[in-house]
Amino acid sequence: MKKLLAISGLVLVAFLLLLWEASARLGWMESSNWPPFSAVLIAMWDGVKSGEFPLLVGETLSLMLIGYVAGCAAGVVMGLLLGLSSLLNRFFSPLIETFRPIPIAAIVPPLILFLGVDAALKIFVVAFSAFFPVLINTLGGVRDRSEVLRQTARTFRLSPLATLWKIVLPSALPAIFAGLRTSLGIALVVTIIAEMIAGSSGIGYFIVQAQYAMQPAPMYAGVVWLAIVGYLLNRLILKIERYSLPWHGAS
Amino acid sequence: MNSAAVRRYLPGTLAVLLALGGWEILSRSGVVNRALLPPPSVVLDTLFVVMKSRAFLTPLAHTMTLMFAGYAIACVLGVAFGIAMGRSEAIHNLFEPLAEMIRPIPKPALIPPLFLFFGIGVKTMLIIVVLAAFFPVLINTIQGVRWVDVTLVNTARTFRLSQTALTLKVILPAALPMIMTGMRVSLGLALTLTILAEMLAGESGIGYLILDMQRAFQIRQMYAWVVVLAVIGVALNALFEWVERRALPWRGQ
Repeated sequence: MKKLLAISGLVLVAFLLLLWEASARLGWMESSNWPPFSAVLIAMWDGVKSGEFPLLVGETLSLMLIGYVAGCAAGVVMGLLLGLSSLLNRFFSPLIETFRPIPIAAIVPPLILFLGVDAALKIFVVAFSAFFPVLINTLGGVRDRSEVLRQTARTFRLSPLATLWKIVLPSALPAIFAGLRTSLGIALVVTIIAEMIAGSSGIGYFIVQAQYAMQPAPMYAGVVWLAIVGYLLNRLILKIERYSLPWHGAS
Repeated sequence: MNSAAVRRYLPGTLAVLLALGGWEILSRSGVVNRALLPPPSVVLDTLFVVMKSRAFLTPLAHTMTLMFAGYAIACVLGVAFGIAMGRSEAIHNLFEPLAEMIRPIPKPALIPPLFLFFGIGVKTMLIIVVLAAFFPVLINTIQGVRWVDVTLVNTARTFRLSQTALTLKVILPAALPMIMTGMRVSLGLALTLTILAEMLAGESGIGYLILDMQRAFQIRQMYAWVVVLAVIGVALNALFEWVERRALPWRGQ
């Protein structure tokens, strides 16, 4: 009985998938856009065999990665600068607080005018979204460093550069990692959003095209592959977090 | 204004003025294409014209209603399921695999399937916003409920509080900081997904207008609406912080 309770969730998932299959095969849904689950699995396999899905996912992930790295690097540098200089912080914070809350989907159409619909646009949009969480966390991490650390650095007459490298950066690292993790979670979603609005390439564009073309099986196959990518990315984030911050492992 | 306030706000004000001034000059002098980036004074003018026209309130109301309705439903469902899954092992076991299957899907990718299946319309868009905003609240509520101090629960048991009273008076307040953290993430997601759904549905709302104006090359109007959205974003943020301070006075600064 206890075993049954433990796997009840998997039973529920299996039941829902069966229900999906049966509803499509037996025509309960009265919709031509409701392919059976098995047809989706076949479309998933066909898409991999033909090389289409690996190509699409590869396009999406490579643009995402470039934008992510650029945005994070800018976020860390800017966060360090603003964290160390109160004047710079007061100078930039109203501008930052103006741009940060703009919903990302809203800035894609204006950006298309300048960057076109291809790689440059997507890289910029991902970098823009990845920038803010890293910036805010780095800034917080730098400002939270203890007075003791500050004075120790002064006692040892560390040069500003050595202070930055040996004191400021390590003590801000947990906060920076928290920002990197948040941004990685956002990056995939934002890449998909940019691909859907601007089009031209990637798995996000493919899914929208499949909807317009009323090809439900390849469309669902694309969504499922994307879900798998999202899941793996999530696992990766958790792994990185555990590895980089072992003292947070308990939670 | 005292000198401390001047020191605090002057640099930021200066930066904003410099940015606006630089944009105005770049655009007017033709360094950047004026057709693509009109000067801020022109955008502001257009914004006033748009706000005075009758075509202002309809899309605004469409977007805001959709967002708030979806967000509210998602928060209620997320907290309810989160408490149930956090308190009961059996319910957790039943729903966890399903939740873990749907959660990692980038929610924008669900818009085309849902449009195809339910048809393009407000109901479908509402489902999308709910789906996007639901999971952060759910996950944070489960965590928050699980982290509630056992002593608190045992004390409540000693006082023979009923299940309902225990949930409302002990569990919910203790989990509230975590719940609010999830609700904050969801707020941003709800707004973005509302805009995106409107863009892809191509019928109404601010999202639709912005994309439509870009395609019709009505650039000034497009920027005016982007500014409206930026203001909405800032206002929602401020509103949330105000609510958070009220709900969690002990959290401080």
